[in-house]
Amino acid sequence: MSVRPRADPVGIRLERISASFNDRSRGVVTAVRDIDLEVRPGELMTLLGPSGCGKTTTLRMIAGFQEPSGGKIFIGAQDVTRAPANQRDIGFVFQNYALFPHLTIFGNVAYGLEVRRRSTDEVRRAVDEVLDLVGLGGFGGRLPNELSGGQQQRVALARAIVIRPRVLLFDEPLSNLDAKLRVSMRAELRSLQQALHITSIYVTHDQEEAMAISDRIAVMENGRIAQLDTAEVLYRRPASAFVAGFLGRANLLRVTVTHVENGRATLAIGNQTLVACLDAPVSVGSAATVIVRPESISIAPPNGGLTGVVQTRTYLGEKVEYEVALAGQTLHVVRFDPAEDEGFSPGSTVSLIVPEAKLRVLDPGAGPT
Amino acid sequence: MRRPRDGVRLLVVVVLWLLLALFVLYPLARLIARAFSDDAGFSLQPLAAAIGNRDNVRAFRNSLLLATLVGICGTVLGFLFAFTVERTQAPRGWVRGLDNATLLPLISPPFTTSIAFVFSFGPRGFITHDLLRMNNASVYGLSSTLAAEALTYFPLAYLALRPMLAGIGGNIEEMAFSLGGSRWRVFRTVTLPLTIPGLANAFLLLFAASLADFATPLILAGNDLPVLPTQAYLQITGMFDLRGGAILSLFLLFPAAIVYFLQRHVVERRRFVTVTGKGGAGTPSQRISPLLGVGLRLACLAIVVFVLYLYALLVVASLVRAFGANYSATLAHYHVIFTEGLPAIEDTLIIAIIGMPLGGLYGVVMGYLVSRTRFAGRGVMEVVSMLNYALPGTIVGIAYLLAFNQRPIALTGTATIIIACYVFRYSPSGIRTTVALLQQIDRSIEEASFSLGAGSLTTFRRVMLPLILPAFFAALSIVFIRSMTAISATIFLVSINWTLITVRILENMTELSLGPAAAFSVFVIVAVMVVTSLLNLGLRRLTAPGLRLAIARQ
Amino acid sequence: MISSSLRPAAGSARPSLGVGRRMFLGSALAAPFIARPAFAADTLNAYSIWPENYARPMMAAFEKSSGIHVNFIRFSSGEALARVIAEKGNPQIDVLFGGPVETFTAGELQGVFEQYVPPAAAELPARFKDPKGAWTAIADDPLVFMTNTQFLKQHNLQPPASWDDLLNPAYKNMLQMADARTSGTAVTRIFSILQVHNRDEAAAFAYMKKLRQNVQVYTKSGGGGTLPVGLGQAGGGIFFIVDALFTRQQGYDVQLSFPKEGIGSAAECIALIKGAKNPAGGKKLIDWATSADMQSLFEPDKINFVPANPKVKMSPTLAAVLKGANIITIDDEWAGANRKRIVELWVKEVLNA
Repeated sequence: MSVRPRADPVGIRLERISASFNDRSRGVVTAVRDIDLEVRPGELMTLLGPSGCGKTTTLRMIAGFQEPSGGKIFIGAQDVTRAPANQRDIGFVFQNYALFPHLTIFGNVAYGLEVRRRSTDEVRRAVDEVLDLVGLGGFGGRLPNELSGGQQQRVALARAIVIRPRVLLFDEPLSNLDAKLRVSMRAELRSLQQALHITSIYVTHDQEEAMAISDRIAVMENGRIAQLDTAEVLYRRPASAFVAGFLGRANLLRVTVTHVENGRATLAIGNQTLVACLDAPVSVGSAATVIVRPESISIAPPNGGLTGVVQTRTYLGEKVEYEVALAGQTLHVVRFDPAEDEGFSPGSTVSLIVPEAKLRVLDPGAGPT
Repeated sequence: MRRPRDGVRLLVVVVLWLLLALFVLYPLARLIARAFSDDAGFSLQPLAAAIGNRDNVRAFRNSLLLATLVGICGTVLGFLFAFTVERTQAPRGWVRGLDNATLLPLISPPFTTSIAFVFSFGPRGFITHDLLRMNNASVYGLSSTLAAEALTYFPLAYLALRPMLAGIGGNIEEMAFSLGGSRWRVFRTVTLPLTIPGLANAFLLLFAASLADFATPLILAGNDLPVLPTQAYLQITGMFDLRGGAILSLFLLFPAAIVYFLQRHVVERRRFVTVTGKGGAGTPSQRISPLLGVGLRLACLAIVVFVLYLYALLVVASLVRAFGANYSATLAHYHVIFTEGLPAIEDTLIIAIIGMPLGGLYGVVMGYLVSRTRFAGRGVMEVVSMLNYALPGTIVGIAYLLAFNQRPIALTGTATIIIACYVFRYSPSGIRTTVALLQQIDRSIEEASFSLGAGSLTTFRRVMLPLILPAFFAALSIVFIRSMTAISATIFLVSINWTLITVRILENMTELSLGPAAAFSVFVIVAVMVVTSLLNLGLRRLTAPGLRLAIARQ
Repeated sequence: MISSSLRPAAGSARPSLGVGRRMFLGSALAAPFIARPAFAADTLNAYSIWPENYARPMMAAFEKSSGIHVNFIRFSSGEALARVIAEKGNPQIDVLFGGPVETFTAGELQGVFEQYVPPAAAELPARFKDPKGAWTAIADDPLVFMTNTQFLKQHNLQPPASWDDLLNPAYKNMLQMADARTSGTAVTRIFSILQVHNRDEAAAFAYMKKLRQNVQVYTKSGGGGTLPVGLGQAGGGIFFIVDALFTRQQGYDVQLSFPKEGIGSAAECIALIKGAKNPAGGKKLIDWATSADMQSLFEPDKINFVPANPKVKMSPTLAAVLKGANIITIDDEWAGANRKRIVELWVKEVLNA
């Protein structure tokens, strides 16, 4: 085995997958509802969402640790819905590493190969190679409890990839590590995955992590996929308030539609007016929600246009944050790399400037389902 | 949400059910059938007669009374020892000494304490007559039985309470102390309430042990304190009234069942503390006044000395010609046990050595199945597997006698019946230890093994078994110790072909060949010590050094 | 189970050392599941009610003379009988060896014995054989009072010469005797008391209730109290003479005496088990035991039974002790028929009073 990308990466397909179980106190609980998902060969897809959204359950169903109560799972062309976990040719990286405490690092990594009855020489070569790959060459003789968290996670990774699985599954692998380590490890993970060209599904609740490493992200809420797209599209054109709020911070303004024309709408907020882009048709006179990111708003001394009153100002070094009142609603504004004399103190009236493209009306049909 | 898709696991479950049905349920069913029938068929008459019998009621009351008192005294003693070890900064030598001394009663054959008591506290007893110049002291009755049982069983309380006191962590007490409470107040309001679940558990352990104790009351209870196990035994062996004995033993079922359920609920409320291998909370502190610490240690020492004295008596009795009359030294008794007694020694050792791996494996497999897998009837299987353990030995012995004495399954006269009795009666300790150990091993480790392509059997063999090795060895140990020292069940199961050392001890006792009885007892104690040391050594060798840090102490 | 102390070279069913060891250990694993391999030319199984000290030399002598090895295990009479009855459907033994006659009459009522009349029976008085041939006596064993010499001195007492002497308050909590539920000694004692009171159960039980006040403990086996009396932990008790004399022989300072009103004696018997797997061997043992062949060994082996076979003279020591003793006859058939009822009554009225 060497660091050669897979010549034949496979895709993963979920067809109307659902999972429900009986909880003693709550009755029937549906963790995953009718999910359709297609992961492209060689892609790293992240399932992102808050706890309880069903992302881990979905991952475990793909792995074979949990049986779906409905639907089908395909790895490549093969229907694996009923196949046990040990026959799916997957690699799973656990949140708590799940290293075998009684085996050495070498033993841990070699485990999958030994189960597949590879020869001793082959095993040794492969293990040494993959340990080097993850930067733990020479650690073979140690025991898991002698290693740091980050090192253990690397061993877990090595153990999963040495068997050259068709699919790699990651269950919040970095959440037990400290912040700095998380950042460096996620970069390593991503570069390894790309080099090996293994189709991967990654579960996390950390949106920054998701955005940093994924080809595409599926944002999940209450057992369903709220929106599935690249990070950029999710950030710039969130389909619902939930997605908007989950990736980055979002200002959600309640407005009324006064005029629609050419994919743009004129909206009334209080007794002021804005113009925003439309993602979906809205009817004049209806109430709508507009999303604008805090960093997209400029603040200037009052000079007409949208006007608000500063409520608070927080200086954070690299940025200054403001809360501005506008027609009875609160806007968060972030200014990066603030000039020394830029300062709008609480109480002052300011002008708010937002490029039209950064103001979007949310699809009224989307939202929590 | 998983189905057992493994053929292997299904097979194992089926086999286990068959074994349980045969060796746990069937005998009990026969016992109950016999108790609830007379010559004509099903009848509640014998049961009603038994309940109406004043003597039986008295025996029942005595059993409960004795068990309650033993529970209290034993728990107090056990707490004293545990507290002294954990809270008074006793030096390591002390701790080791206490551990070993308290081990003695647990690994001794029955009657050892009783015999020594008779010699010490009888009308011409060594202590009562020779030392204290009392005349006509009576050694038979409630006080001696209580004292003997408390001394025999308090190590159970010690073993249960010690890890609990250790796990509470001095930090909580330190904090309370720093808030201005006196040491006594801290003890009263912090330490004691936290230990109440543990104390309740210890009490129940001892209550159950005393309830089932057959050997001590046989010697010491005298005729004023009839208790149920001995009554049942005497009913069968003396009055050849199998039905009467069966009914009496069923009387024991109720308190035993109550204790079992109480224990499940108390134990389940306890929190398990997982040691992660990151330096313990062993900060020494000035919580206990040094004077009190010394006092506590002296109290423990006094008790240990007394226990050692009892065993010293035993050793002396094995080495003199006729204890009490002729104190000339002799090895004749040892000669006797190794010649005429050799078949009993061989039989017992063979049975113990065969039973050991069977019991160990059964305990571990069952523990793994009930705690880690899901299948229909899992909860029921767990309860059934604990039945023979929870029930007093007399019940199990009588049940086996009734069930296997004739067709369809005639096992009396074989070793199988004795081995089966041991395995299904004593491996539940191994089951519980396995379950406890498994609770501290995360499920994801097995899932990791599956994800890497291993099946159930491989996962069990290569991953789980090494991790639960301590539990496996504990099960081996317990089955061996109990095989060497048990009597209450197996006294009904010995035969021409297979006899046991403990039964021989009883015979010798009743024939008053005290020398051989003592020699046998000493042999058993030595054998058990040797084997358990070997097992400990083996465990140490086989367990990865890191593993012991990573998994909590049992 | 006891292996013969003579241990013939290659004929033991239970080789413990040497020759058969490896084979033995090797077959040990299979042993639990198969019947024990019988290496001897012939093997017999028995329960012995006699203590091992007595049974062992007798069985050894039998093996020497007949070549048949006897596997035996010792139980007290109550236990032995209970076992035999429980095993009725699947007898584990061939012979019930030794034990007081009341055990045998009770067993006969349960139908566990096979009728067999040995040749020696012709020479025996009626008392020593069952009219239907279910059992035959191999020895006679009178009851006796045994007291501790020091105790007597301390309390200024003579060895008890009457049943009422035992009611003396000086004996309070100092008497030990057998428990009727497990021991034939006790049953013989109770029937002696009944006989002495002319079977007036009210009077007899009134006596026994009073006696109970002085009893420290009722022992499981007949001889269970002999050592405490020897050691001085008890002051006295009622035992079979064989056990009492054994105590004295061991060096304990005790006195033997008899009540003038009379005291009973129990025949020690032997019987063939119905359904025995080796009835021929069993019969040989019965023949041997009921004849002078076995009983002439009592004296040299210092076993203090009175021989049942009139051809054997009792030992001079024994004769001296029994001189002048009033040994009364108990109607064994009556005893056998009423054993259960009387014992239950004793348990209810005396033991648990």
